[in-house]
Amino acid sequence: MEIKMTLDCKGLSCPMPMMKIAKAMKELKSGEVLEVLGTDPGTKTDLPSWCEKSGNELVESSDLDGGINRFVLRKG
Amino acid sequence: MSKEKNSLSELFRMVFGKHWPVWVGGILLGLLNILLFAIKSPWGASGGITNLGDNLFSLFGMFSDKVVTPVSQNNYGMLVVLIVLGSFAGALFSKEFALRVPPKGEMIKGLLGGALMAVGATVGIGCSIGSFFSGVPALSGGALIFTFAMFVGVILSLKYLIWEMERFPKWSTGKSYTFLAAAPEKGKWQIIAGIIVLLGVILLAYSYTDTNPVMSWFIIIASLMGLISQRSRFCIVKSFRDPFMSGESHGTVGVIAGLLVSLVGFTVIKYFTIGDISEVSQRARELTWVFPNFWGKALLGGFIFGLGMTIAGGCAVGTLWRVGEGQIKLWFSLLGLVIFSPLSNSYIVPFVDGLLPQGAKFRAYLPDYIGYDGAFFLILLILIGWYAFVKWNERTGRFSAF
Repeated sequence: MEIKMTLDCKGLSCPMPMMKIAKAMKELKSGEVLEVLGTDPGTKTDLPSWCEKSGNELVESSDLDGGINRFVLRKG
Repeated sequence: MSKEKNSLSELFRMVFGKHWPVWVGGILLGLLNILLFAIKSPWGASGGITNLGDNLFSLFGMFSDKVVTPVSQNNYGMLVVLIVLGSFAGALFSKEFALRVPPKGEMIKGLLGGALMAVGATVGIGCSIGSFFSGVPALSGGALIFTFAMFVGVILSLKYLIWEMERFPKWSTGKSYTFLAAAPEKGKWQIIAGIIVLLGVILLAYSYTDTNPVMSWFIIIASLMGLISQRSRFCIVKSFRDPFMSGESHGTVGVIAGLLVSLVGFTVIKYFTIGDISEVSQRARELTWVFPNFWGKALLGGFIFGLGMTIAGGCAVGTLWRVGEGQIKLWFSLLGLVIFSPLSNSYIVPFVDGLLPQGAKFRAYLPDYIGYDGAFFLILLILIGWYAFVKWNERTGRFSAF
């Protein structure tokens, strides 16, 4: 899976990660993949429901060392 | 024994393994708010924050002519501190605590948002809790005006944030740091630290039982409120903003659920004058959390508060529980609230009061005009209308930016 863009949201709190993710997804073409690195626990809850609503796919959600959450999204 | 241990582990995982639905948080917070009212008076945050600020200035010998109650003797000052501690405990138990230092621009926005919230709350006599989450169920006409104005402030502020992100993306990017985060499958120290915080809170509550039992209960309820808010990510700004940003409605539904629960409880308490009325008259009990802000002060204060909480990314309670979770942006927001609340009370509020006529700053108790039934059903209708709107908008995306 080729990652088209990586978005660094580390240190940001609500609503900035979701705003940045939505903006980045607008810049991608259908099928392209976005990787997001963040530290706001709220994104873990907000992202799945936003993906479902916006027709994008949350391919992966994992916890890395250093309190970093990694998300991989495919544009629908 | 191992079966019991497994059941307890399962319960612990259920509470701290995942975030709770916001409506669960809303209902629990609504119930605790009713308890606070039954014991003394409803939930509020800006009064306690001002008390913290007054104590801070007093420490530096400023405003020395003002009589300041120590935080340890002020119910609402302690409420603020304990919400932070309750959230801290919740974040530790769920291994979500970390010091998250954002880029510089975000910290400036936190401070600015906090300062605006301080001005809004002091001018409007109440914040997103006192003049909204508690004020609306308290059947206050001023709270309805405050809510409307806060909503306008949020929309404008959201438009600014979107514009800023498009035009000046560097303001929210740059160096960031995270400290003390728990590694996946590790971080047991956070749970041990959570137990220590919890024991500390219990001891603190116990220390007041002989001299001030009301304070003991305020301590217990506030720490639960902090924990519940952190686990359910209950946030008023989210409930106002998200339908117009991502289109999501779950934050709004959570707040509506809490308002509905409080509406029933508060109406019963006021109608039957339940609670300790030895110190206050029956009429004073009815007018609890009905502030002299109708309509001008509520309009101006609510608007400024709405601007501030959107820029900060946390309302009064959203700021407090995010402080406990280690979000440094919100530490700056709290700093702005604490510093600017006393300043605004001393310099801005008298100026605004001088400008507004008496007819723009009085207590409007809805049952005085339309009866208890009319007030109850008016608020119920507004909440049902709000629910229908956010659900329709979620489905159609008609008013969502993304």
